[in-house]
Amino acid sequence: MGFHLFAAAALQDSNTNSPARGLLHELGIAQSIVDYAVSEAKSRNSARIAEIQIEVGELAMIDRSILSNALRMLKSGPMLDRCKFRVKVRRVSFSCRKCSAKWTMAEAMKQLEKVPQELLVREPDSKEVPLHFLPSLYPAFVRCPKCGSADLDVTAGEDVRIMRLVFE
Amino acid sequence: MEKGSEVGFVRLDALKKLGKVGRVILVGSGKGGVGKSLVACGLALRLSEMGRRIGVLDTDLHGASVPDYLGVSPPLSSGRGGLVPKESGKLKVMSVALFTGDNPVPVRGAGKEGLITELFALTDWGDLDFLVVDLPPSTGDELLTAFGLFGRKSTMLLVTTPSPSSLRVVSRLSRLAASEKVSVAGAVVNMAFAGAGRERIYPFGRKTISEIEERLDARILVQIPLDPAVSTGGLRRALRAKGEFSASFDELASSFMKV
Repeated sequence: MGFHLFAAAALQDSNTNSPARGLLHELGIAQSIVDYAVSEAKSRNSARIAEIQIEVGELAMIDRSILSNALRMLKSGPMLDRCKFRVKVRRVSFSCRKCSAKWTMAEAMKQLEKVPQELLVREPDSKEVPLHFLPSLYPAFVRCPKCGSADLDVTAGEDVRIMRLVFE
Repeated sequence: MEKGSEVGFVRLDALKKLGKVGRVILVGSGKGGVGKSLVACGLALRLSEMGRRIGVLDTDLHGASVPDYLGVSPPLSSGRGGLVPKESGKLKVMSVALFTGDNPVPVRGAGKEGLITELFALTDWGDLDFLVVDLPPSTGDELLTAFGLFGRKSTMLLVTTPSPSSLRVVSRLSRLAASEKVSVAGAVVNMAFAGAGRERIYPFGRKTISEIEERLDARILVQIPLDPAVSTGGLRRALRAKGEFSASFDELASSFMKV
């Protein structure tokens, strides 16, 4: 019950206009980030975490506002109550190793919308493309829009990373 | 006070998940076509029947066949603890083919490390006594990723046929495991013979156990016969039937129960 309320609140506060979409993955990420920051603070005998800087790779298809809300809702206890979360999106750029064409995530999204229904991962209120969970799987679903090749490169932007922790 | 080095969320989750796994059995060969997936799945099924909590992770990104042996298919679902592995009996199964179906997965080097790490880290395995990892052919990215990911919890099970070319390739893997300080639990000689009694034939040549052990620098745990029933009726049915094929998997699983 508590969890559903939490998820619903996170979705309501989201600034996206997209229909209800996966929350569980973002919640899991938020929990992992907070767990790690707290364990680091304890190992350094710090009483408080002042700031956590996070970079979200665009290819990971994480909803930044949902992640930010989830992080804020995990701010409990003296260790985290004054913590600032800074979440930045790192854009991804695709390039074709065969014809050297370059394109963005927006172009790739057009292809990802065509992923067959049976391959979408079921979440309680939505269906998600596999890249939402496995960003490194892009070569199975994205093709060069110019020549059709699957031999692609991406710039960084596949992972969710903790870039900096600031302790008091 | 600050900590400025980058930490990937997936790597954090991988460490968390590994903490709930008792032992990792890396089933590898270096050679293609020797029956790694069959051995991995048969071993997992037997260990599960013996009451152990078992997960099977298919790291053969380009030629995943674990879903076929264990009868699982897309779609996957996701829950509070991450991706829900497919269940095959009591086995928990995860494979890239459960995301891609019949799509090819033309992923290059560094991408393989990311993909295998994501596949393990984001799956809600729960508590496992054994995670059985089916490795692809070669001694490249997938194998090195598995060594790095599972570290000291892992032990290798080498799979070979009696053929000289297979033994040569598998011996290289054995040496690599030694240099990377990954323990080798032993080796399986798959497709060691076919038929029974006087009708027995040796399609990949005949070697004594001591010859193979010396070549691989590893103890032979069991010899598995070539059983056409796997192709005609499936692995589960072949394991249920009485005979040398089925008995060999009893023996193999028992050797891990002692570990």
